Amino acid sequence: MFMSVELMLNSVNFLLVGYSNFLKSVDGQIFALMIMAVAAAEVVVGLAIILTIFRTRHDMDVDHIDVLKG
Amino acid sequence: MSRERVGMFGCATVGLSFLVTLVALSELLLDVEKQKGAVSTLYNWVTAGSFSLNLSILIDPLSVFMLLIVTGVGFVIHVYSVGYMREDPEYSRFFAYMNLFIFSMSVLVMAADFFFLIVGWALVGLASYLLIGFWKEKTSAVLAARKAFVMNVIGDVGMVIAAFMIFDHLGTLNFLDVFALAEEAFRPNDDAILLITLFLLVGAFAKSAQIPLHTWLPDAMEGPTPVSALIHAATMVTAGVYLVARCHVLYELAPYTMYLIATVGVVTAIFAGSMGMVQYDIKRVIAYSTMSQLGYMFLAAGVGMYSIAMFHLMTHAFFKALLFLSAGSVIHGSNDEQDIRQMGGLRRAMPITHITFLIGSLALAGFPLTSGFFSKEAIIINAYHSDMGNIVFWAIAVLGAAMTGFYIFRVYFYTFVGQPRTSVHAHESPRIMTAPLVLLAFFSLTVGFGGHMVDDFLATYFGMHMPHPDDPVFETIGVGAGLVGIAAAIIFYMTGKDRLEFIKRMLAPIYDLLFHKYYIDEIYDYLIVKPTRATGAFMEKKVERDGIDMAVDQVGTQVREASQIISLWQSGKVRGYAFNMIVGVVIILMFVVFQ
Repeated sequence: MFMSVELMLNSVNFLLVGYSNFLKSVDGQIFALMIMAVAAAEVVVGLAIILTIFRTRHDMDVDHIDVLKG
Repeated sequence: MSRERVGMFGCATVGLSFLVTLVALSELLLDVEKQKGAVSTLYNWVTAGSFSLNLSILIDPLSVFMLLIVTGVGFVIHVYSVGYMREDPEYSRFFAYMNLFIFSMSVLVMAADFFFLIVGWALVGLASYLLIGFWKEKTSAVLAARKAFVMNVIGDVGMVIAAFMIFDHLGTLNFLDVFALAEEAFRPNDDAILLITLFLLVGAFAKSAQIPLHTWLPDAMEGPTPVSALIHAATMVTAGVYLVARCHVLYELAPYTMYLIATVGVVTAIFAGSMGMVQYDIKRVIAYSTMSQLGYMFLAAGVGMYSIAMFHLMTHAFFKALLFLSAGSVIHGSNDEQDIRQMGGLRRAMPITHITFLIGSLALAGFPLTSGFFSKEAIIINAYHSDMGNIVFWAIAVLGAAMTGFYIFRVYFYTFVGQPRTSVHAHESPRIMTAPLVLLAFFSLTVGFGGHMVDDFLATYFGMHMPHPDDPVFETIGVGAGLVGIAAAIIFYMTGKDRLEFIKRMLAPIYDLLFHKYYIDEIYDYLIVKPTRATGAFMEKKVERDGIDMAVDQVGTQVREASQIISLWQSGKVRGYAFNMIVGVVIILMFVVFQ
């Protein structure tokens, strides 16, 4: 599941850079850099959550986390 | 408060009212100007712009006349009640209710406009309900009270509708204004005035127990005897007659209604008289007698002889109260026995009561020189001779007089003459009860001679003096009728038992009809009470429970089920939520792009 998030972020970066080239503007590349920074921070948090979940439940299936069901 | 204090206080209030009324009377007599009526506004209730509803009283000959009867006879009856109700545990409550009644009746007769009149009218109905059902553990009494109240309310509705119509047409409810404006506002026998007088009549007939709203009166005898004397003889039931007299201006503009009044009055007179001939409960006979005599009063009013109607109202108040209180004395002295077939020979055991009852009976039958004689003869003779009278009215009235003589002396003979039929040990009543009897007997014999004074006094209000036509033939027949009735009673009950049984068997079907009150109660029950009850039950089950309650419950139930379904959407699963977010973003983007 994390993989898909990384994929999405990468695709957005790709689009940004591509268009910045096409539109002869630097803004896209700068924004892409910021995205990379945020992605890194986000990965840290996400991994921490995954570790915690695995430590308490010993079960990685995301579909089994439905405590808020109702 | 101790019993003595309660009794004294209860009587004193009424006695005081009587004295004040005497003062009012003297003022009216001394200063003829005042006889046009003085209005006094007691309390301003509601004012809306130029319209205001007040509690105002009118002091004029008619109201003072009624008030004298109400407070005077009321006082005498209160004194009697001190003795009669002595052993009753709810002594104080009785006097409270009795005083409430006197108050209500006073309001009714003193009211200066239709509004206050209706207030008094309804209050009197309430007091009647409370007093009839005084012995509230007795089921029959409670049912009778309810019956009386329901019928009274029917009358109240009529009154209110009439009041609305009067206001609609004339813009005021004040008596003096209404009567002044009525002449110009209505043509004689105009639809509007006919309806107004008819609706007022519904009220009058309900309160005065005339056909068809009469069935409550015999049942009302469930109340203590002083109640029967006060309310169902002297005062409340006369409110209907007072109403017609008060509104005579309106009735004179509606001759058709007056004809109806006279007809209903005279029919009720013999209808009730016939039923009174076969009852064996002493109070019931007297109750039917009241109904019958009220019929005579309405007959008089219906032919335009208002003063005579009021005169008969007064004499009747005295001798009817006398009869009721004497009957009460008999009941009290015979250990609460009310069935005349269980009595006999009380002449010796209760001498004073015997004489007073006899005097009352003579007055009721119209024996010459008693008060009842003067008033009743005036009615009977004018039933024929007045402008609106006719021979049929006269004939029926005469027949009624014969019946009257019969039924009351039948009771007299059964009760006081002969040998005691049971071993009931009867004793005379205490002085506090016999003194009022003697007083009332005295008046029953004397007030008859004051006929002209009454006529003069009320002439200012009615605008005319009552004629007394000179017709010796018809008059003698009228007088004779009462005597014939008495004679019939004498013959009937001095006859041997076998002949009596024979006659009874011959007349059995008629007897049954009369005894069962012409089955009117049963008819009403079938036609009115049962359908009303059924409708109520239907409404309760189908409309209220299956309909409205169901609807309200369903609102709650459906909301709950819908929310159950919706809550399935909250799966708790991250993937589901993520999906929802994407769907939402796509929708928003679509709006943005295709804007």
